[in-house]
Amino acid sequence: MAVTAKIADIAGHLPSQILSNEQLAALYPAWSAEKILDKTGIRQRHVAAPGETAGDLALGAAQKLFAQGRIARDDVDFVILCTQAPDYILPTTACVLAHRLGIRVDAGALDVNLGCSGFVYGLSLAKGLIETGAARCVLLLTADTYSKYIHPLDKSVRTLFGDGAAATAIVASDDPTPAIGPFVFGTDGSGAQHLIVPAGGFRQPHDESSAVETRDDSDNVRTAEHLYMNGAEVMAFTLREVPRTMKSLLEKSGATADSIDFFVLHQANRFMLEALRKKLHVPADRLPICMQDVGNTVSSTIPLALESMRRDGLLASPKRLMLIGFGVGLSWAGCLLTT
Amino acid sequence: MNTFYEGLAEILEVDASKLSPEFSFADANADWDSLAIVSTIALADDSFNVMLDGKALAACEKVADIEALIDAARHRNA
Repeated sequence: MAVTAKIADIAGHLPSQILSNEQLAALYPAWSAEKILDKTGIRQRHVAAPGETAGDLALGAAQKLFAQGRIARDDVDFVILCTQAPDYILPTTACVLAHRLGIRVDAGALDVNLGCSGFVYGLSLAKGLIETGAARCVLLLTADTYSKYIHPLDKSVRTLFGDGAAATAIVASDDPTPAIGPFVFGTDGSGAQHLIVPAGGFRQPHDESSAVETRDDSDNVRTAEHLYMNGAEVMAFTLREVPRTMKSLLEKSGATADSIDFFVLHQANRFMLEALRKKLHVPADRLPICMQDVGNTVSSTIPLALESMRRDGLLASPKRLMLIGFGVGLSWAGCLLTT
Repeated sequence: MNTFYEGLAEILEVDASKLSPEFSFADANADWDSLAIVSTIALADDSFNVMLDGKALAACEKVADIEALIDAARHRNA
């Protein structure tokens, strides 16, 4: 009998250490704590401790998911970890995590290297595995520690990004109507240099030159080993591709914008989400901004937003959502999700 | 240009009545930094449906320079 994939449960996990706007304002003379909140919509971010990895954060999220009781660890027959800060160059962090979590050894496991679009891509892979009968319970872990890539004196990214993880269980269901999909994807590698850690891979290995600090026109300090974001290019890309993705998804699904209860977009920062909201002509109460206490957690922003919406009772009755992730790659993806 | 000036005043953190084409960011000690540039890209897209280039914006010294970029972009769109 044909099965469809659905999300059974979500759990988020954040490192305990907090980086507040007050701490940041003390480092950046031009910006007050209020200005940071006003511009970014972020009051604080959680930051991994030295030695605390994305794998550790993913472990915490999965343990919380199992503790919630809807999914047992023995149900899991496939683990997907989306991260850009793996524990090792090799082996695959998902393999290590599957063992640490006590997942069955007859389960599959793989890593996906994507950023802000990663959760939606992960859902598409999980749906594919389940609806082809290859798996029945996929544990999709999203976890990142961008803080480890950020120079302390680069306010362009340090104000925005927070570390965090989420665990999402996608399971087989007998419901003939698919709860997840359709999907729309997009990739534009010509914009790779706009959001990048240039050094540390094999294209530009770490050496003396990659450790040289430079100061940009906005007084931000970084080296080639740190995260660089060209905010103007990323904003232009987002304003170009997210509306197109929304339009394609509506065409592909035959749905109207009015039939979508919530547009859950990658929680990049408040000014970007508000610019998108205006451009998409979506009222504020249908485009949640759930990042005030966590910042931009990369591939975990959408599941953390879903968890927060569920906590606030917004998903108490069945809802039709549009999810859109967009960012580093450049990469983007959208899908519909019925809760 | 009114809503554009209001938006720009908010971005530059100055009173909207002080803005004119000759308003110079350096003279007013206004922060024309990467965040202001990103916000201006969103504002111009919302107000005039044009996409401005970040590098060209970074080179702007006064409001008239931004307006010239917007005019050029509108001609390209037309």
